[in-house]
Amino acid sequence: MTLRVLVVEDDREIRALMQSSLSVEGFEVQTAVSLSEASALLRHSPPDVIVLDLGLPDGDGVQLVREVRTRHSLPIVVVSARHQEAQKIQLLDAGADDYLTKPFSVGELLARIRVALRHRGTALAAAVTVHELDDLRIDLAAHSVLRNGEVLHLTPTEFKLLARLVRSAGRVVTHRQLLLDVWGPEFTEHTHYLRLYMAQLRAKIERDPAEPRHLLTETGVGYRLAAV
Amino acid sequence: MLLLTAATACSFLLDRYVSLTSQAMIYVLAVVIASYKLDWIESAVCAVAAVTALNFFFVPPRWTFEVENQEHFIALGTMLVLALVISHLAKGVRRETELAHLNERRARQLQALATNLSNVNSPADIEALGHKALDAAFAGPCSLALTRDGRELDFAADLDPAVRDGMRCCVKEEAVLGPGTGRWPGLLAWYLPLGERGHVTGAACVRPALAADEAGREHAQALCALLAQALWRLRVTASMLAAQSEAQRQQLQSTFLAAISHDLRTPLAAIVGAASSLQTQRDKLSEPEQDRLLGSIVSEASYLSTVTENTLQLVQLTGAAQALKRDWESMEEIVGAVLARVRQRDSQRRIKSNVPENLPLVKADPVLLAQLISNLLDNALQYSDGAIDLSVSVEAQELLVSVKDRGPGIPEAEQKVIFEAYTRGDQSGQRGAGLGLALCRAIALAHGGRLTLRPRRGGGSNFVLALPLDAQQPGQELNQELP
Repeated sequence: MTLRVLVVEDDREIRALMQSSLSVEGFEVQTAVSLSEASALLRHSPPDVIVLDLGLPDGDGVQLVREVRTRHSLPIVVVSARHQEAQKIQLLDAGADDYLTKPFSVGELLARIRVALRHRGTALAAAVTVHELDDLRIDLAAHSVLRNGEVLHLTPTEFKLLARLVRSAGRVVTHRQLLLDVWGPEFTEHTHYLRLYMAQLRAKIERDPAEPRHLLTETGVGYRLAAV
Repeated sequence: MLLLTAATACSFLLDRYVSLTSQAMIYVLAVVIASYKLDWIESAVCAVAAVTALNFFFVPPRWTFEVENQEHFIALGTMLVLALVISHLAKGVRRETELAHLNERRARQLQALATNLSNVNSPADIEALGHKALDAAFAGPCSLALTRDGRELDFAADLDPAVRDGMRCCVKEEAVLGPGTGRWPGLLAWYLPLGERGHVTGAACVRPALAADEAGREHAQALCALLAQALWRLRVTASMLAAQSEAQRQQLQSTFLAAISHDLRTPLAAIVGAASSLQTQRDKLSEPEQDRLLGSIVSEASYLSTVTENTLQLVQLTGAAQALKRDWESMEEIVGAVLARVRQRDSQRRIKSNVPENLPLVKADPVLLAQLISNLLDNALQYSDGAIDLSVSVEAQELLVSVKDRGPGIPEAEQKVIFEAYTRGDQSGQRGAGLGLALCRAIALAHGGRLTLRPRRGGGSNFVLALPLDAQQPGQELNQELP
C-alpha cells in the first residue's frame, strides 16, 4: 500500500520539487496551495502525512494543525523560513510533529517524513517504551537506563524528562511541551529548569556533553532524542 | 487699641513734666505706628479715638469731651488728616512690597522651571514639571494637557468636561482665553495655549483668573512659554535623531547593497553556469564531471543562503532596535548544537572543543549566539589549516567563548576594520568574510558583550566573545534531588 503525502505549499517551484522527489520515493502526492484547499482535501480523503509550509496566503496554519489534531493522528511536518521561528514553535506546540527550515535538502525532507511516519499516531499509537541507540538503552517500563550495560542513576525528574523525550524519539519536543508534561502547566515559563536538568542528563548520558550524541538541542525550539 | 492705651498711660506718666503739645505728639506717634499697620478705615477710627482720648484725658477741661481752646481743634484735625495720609502711604508701601515679593517669587519660579526643563527627555516629564509649576504659582486647581500626534489633546482621566472644552477651544483658537483677554471673558479660568501660532503643543487651564490681574496672566503665559519651548526642543531633537538614524540606515543599506551585489553575484554566476552546463551538455559530460557540477550547485547555493541569512540578521540588529528573544540559555547546549551543524563541514575533525561542566547560564538569544559561534568556526575552517580550538571559560563575571586558529592571522592594519560591515581582507578574489564578522560583533554588542580579536603567539588569530554574566543565577530554588 502506498503512503499518501499532502504537500501544502504556495510556491510553485518548491511544490513541484517536493512532488517529484516524493513520487520518486514511492509516495502518492497530493498538493494544496492554501489552507482552505488543504482543509477540503483533508475532509475528502485524509492522507498519511502532511507537509505544511508556513506563510500561506490565507492564514498561519495553527488552525489547520488544531483541526487535524482533533480528528486525526497523522503526522505533520512544518516547513518554515528563518524569520518564522515564533510561528513554527506555535505550530509545534499546537501539535505538529517536526519541522524543516528552508532551504532544506531533499534528503532531509525524506528523513523527517520517515521519522514522522514511524511514530505515526502521536495520540493513538502504542507508546514507545524501549529506546536503543549505540551504547544507550532506555526501558521505560523497567524504569532502567543503561550505558554500555552499566546502570545509570537518574533522579525522578531526570527520568521523567528522558521518558518524555523517548516517547517522541527522533522528533523535536518544544520547551513548552517538556515543561508542561514534566513539571506542569504553571511551569511553562521556567525554561531555566530545562536548561539545568538537561545539563545534568547530558552529564550522565553523554560521553562528551559538549557534543551530545543522544540529547540533541534544537536551538531556540526544544530538544530531540536522536533515533538514528 | 493697645497703642492708644499705651499712649494714654505714657501721657499720664509724663503729665507733670510736659505740655499738652508733647502729649499730643505721643498720640500722633501712636496713630502713625497704628496707621502703618492698619488699613485706612481702621486708621481713621484710630485717629478719631486718639483725638477723643487726648481731648477727654488731657485737653482742658479734663474728663470731658468739651474743647476749651480753638487751637486744640486744629491739633485734633491735623492728627486725623495725618493718620489718614500715613495710613494711605503705608498701604501703598505695603502693596509695593507685596508686589515686589510676588514678582521675585514669580521670577524664581520661572528660573526654577527653566532649569528643571533643561534636562528632561520626555513630554511626560515636561507635563509633570508644568503641573508642579502651575500649582506652585496659582491657588488652582490648574490643569495641563499636551497634544498627542496630530492635534488631539491627551487629557487626564478625571478632568472636568468644561475644562476639556475650554482647552480644546484654546488649542483651536491658538490664543489665551478667559477674563481680561477679550476672548470669552465670562470663563472662570484662563486657558493658555502652549506654543506659538501654528505650533501649539498643548494647553493649560489656570485658576483663579481675575480680569484685572494682568501680572498673574502674564506669569501664567511665561510659564506656558517655557513649557512650549521645552516641548519644541524635544520635538526638534527627536526629528534630528530620526534624520540622523535615517541617514545611517541609508548608509547601511548602500553598504549592504554593495556587499550583496558582490557576495551574491559570484555564487549565483557559479550556480547558473553549472546548471546551464548540465542542461545543455549533459550527454557530453562524464559522470564524475556531472557530479562535480551538481556538488558545486549545492555548495554555492548553501553559501548563498548563509550570506542572505547574515545580511538579513545584521540589518535587523543594526537597523531597528530589535528586541532580542532573550532567555536563560546554556552555552554548553548552544556550542553543542553549533558543533553538530559545523561538523558536517569538518570531516577531519579539526575543531577541538573544550567546554567545562556546570557553566553558569546566560540571558541571551540562543539563535543569534549560535549564528555568531557558527560564523567564527566557519571562518576558521575556511581561512586556516590545522587545529581550531573552541573553548568556553568564566572570568570575572564574564563568560568567554574563544575560537583560535593557526591561520595566516590578520595584518595589524586590518584588525580594526575587519569587524566593519563588508570589508574584504584579501583582494585575491577569495571570498571574504563579508558581513559575517560585522554580524558577529553586532550580536555581541546587542547582548551587552564584546567581540575582540587578538593575534596569537606563533601565528593565527584568536576571536574572543565576552558576555556579561548575571550575578543572579536562576534555579537556586531547585533543590537538587537525590537519585
